[in-house]
Amino acid sequence: MTTTDAISKPDAAPPARRLWSGVKALPIAYVGTILLLVCAALLRPNLLQPFLLLLILRQTAPLAIAVIGQSLCIRILSLDLSFGGVAMAVSYIVTSGMLPYPAPVLLLLSVLFGVAVGATNAYFIAIRKASSVMVTLAMVLILGGVVTALSQFRAQGDAPEILRYIGQTRIGVVPVAVLVWFAVLIPMALFMRYSVFGRYVDAIGSNPRAAGTTGIPHVKVVFVTHIMSSLFAVLSAFLLIGFVGFGSATIGVDLALNSLAAVILGGVTFGSGRGGMLGPTVAAFMLMFCFNLLTSFGLGEPGKQMAQGAIIALAAIAYAAGDRRR
Amino acid sequence: MIAILPRRMGRTGLGVVSIGLPILLFVGLSLQADNFLQAQNIANINSQITTLLIVALGQLFVALIGGIDISVGSVVSLSSTLLVMVDPALAVPAALLAGAVIGLANGVGVAIFGVHPLIMTLAMATFVQGLALLMMSGSGGTVPEALIWMAKTSFGGVPVSFLWCLAAVAVTAVLLNRTRFGLHVYAIGAGEQSAAFSGVRIASTRIACYVICSLAGSMAAIYLTGRIASGDPTMGRPFSLDSVTAIALGGVLLSGGIGGVWAALLGTLTLGLITNGMNLTGVSPFFREAITGVLLLVAVSLHRRKVIGI
Repeated sequence: MTTTDAISKPDAAPPARRLWSGVKALPIAYVGTILLLVCAALLRPNLLQPFLLLLILRQTAPLAIAVIGQSLCIRILSLDLSFGGVAMAVSYIVTSGMLPYPAPVLLLLSVLFGVAVGATNAYFIAIRKASSVMVTLAMVLILGGVVTALSQFRAQGDAPEILRYIGQTRIGVVPVAVLVWFAVLIPMALFMRYSVFGRYVDAIGSNPRAAGTTGIPHVKVVFVTHIMSSLFAVLSAFLLIGFVGFGSATIGVDLALNSLAAVILGGVTFGSGRGGMLGPTVAAFMLMFCFNLLTSFGLGEPGKQMAQGAIIALAAIAYAAGDRRR
Repeated sequence: MIAILPRRMGRTGLGVVSIGLPILLFVGLSLQADNFLQAQNIANINSQITTLLIVALGQLFVALIGGIDISVGSVVSLSSTLLVMVDPALAVPAALLAGAVIGLANGVGVAIFGVHPLIMTLAMATFVQGLALLMMSGSGGTVPEALIWMAKTSFGGVPVSFLWCLAAVAVTAVLLNRTRFGLHVYAIGAGEQSAAFSGVRIASTRIACYVICSLAGSMAAIYLTGRIASGDPTMGRPFSLDSVTAIALGGVLLSGGIGGVWAALLGTLTLGLITNGMNLTGVSPFFREAITGVLLLVAVSLHRRKVIGI
């Protein structure tokens, strides 16, 4: 009787307290998004018009796709900061005109390039056991340096027709970019939820040493994850190039940091083995909505940068403090 | 010969690569470029590496405790902005105060709240860079005359940049090798738990390392702003990664406990010689970034860790 009482005690908590516990357990992104929407409703109601919300969703698509790759890396206790370099290189391959091939070949070359970058990152991280942050930052330096040396800051050309179609057109009221985003996100979420690979990722994230001891192929998982991450960066770059309509040497420079912020806000934390796909996705929308809100208040690029840094720091502190309490 | 040399010598971090690479570069450039050994060129190398050396010595403290500070470049940028924006009498204290506050925030985030140093300092780097750009959108401003003098004068033919290097190396060497604080830094890097059991105050020492690193960023800004006689809100951009590359090339173990002043000095010299060599041999300066990246990859690969990941 006593034991039964003890076990059933948490269920006997008042509904309000249970609700509060549930809210507290949610990633910051959910509460943050609701707060931002309320804030917009009170101060900038125009931002909540369906047309503008769809535009913000279209802006979110490239980041949200990059976020999928970043969240995979963080779930295996790694990190990929090379997104900016990958986007820069893809922009050069696709729009510079230096490679005299038709658009489908250029897109295929970009995909192969993504695989090569991911495999190189993975080699140094998994085989040479170098820090993933240092490796991927070094990759940004290499890719940025080579692309700048080759392009000499010359203006790049127009985006291929197919990318402009994806980035700029709609089917009904829904932008094609958003459809592409969901076409990638949903199968990926199911794959990570139900596949053996997904279980491997969770096991490594929870305890890499224990995962290795039980025979999980840690090195292979790191390779696959980093290659997937780079491929998502390539896809994200495609959407960005299509959205802007032409190539640029600065395209995607914010991708790495914003994706990191979104993943942290979305509840995926280092070493906890926790985190899914929905939290980071909501966080990506939250960040984009936040940037639009800040722009509507007249805050320029530096202000957005400050907000970005403050959001990452505060979210990381909140999670770290929460983990310590647990 | 190389086979019989130890790969790493004690806790200094010096080894075949860190000592051999700058010597090889020096000899190669002496043979390849006619004007490499001219006094003017040597003085140029010295003044070019001074800023990086000061930042690298700061980064050394953080690396020795197993941390990393990606925000130090932004500290250089913000300090440079402050130096030309506030009253000349308050310029230097304001820059140093900014450095101390940023270092304190980094240290508290890492040591008290347990945030991963990369995440904390990356976030701080973004915030501080945004703040610098908010205060000043482009390069310019009036640099106090005293700062220009401090960066450009010479004493008896010896350029003041050499004295800056000497002072930075001496202060770091004394702090690391002649004080209890230095001993604690090495102890934490070698094993945090053991250090804690031995009575070392972990949190305060770690915070102090981040503060020193940021202060080094402010000092580097004081020198560089005086040297180019202009403030620049993006001045520090390359220094975060360059400083990590420099100390890693010098043999400092990024997971902590191993490294020293000589390692930071030799690593910085290696990068300086590469840049100078590229200038003298006519290689596109845009490739400098790519080569730094390759060197960073090589340097971090030389230090194999036990774990895979961040």
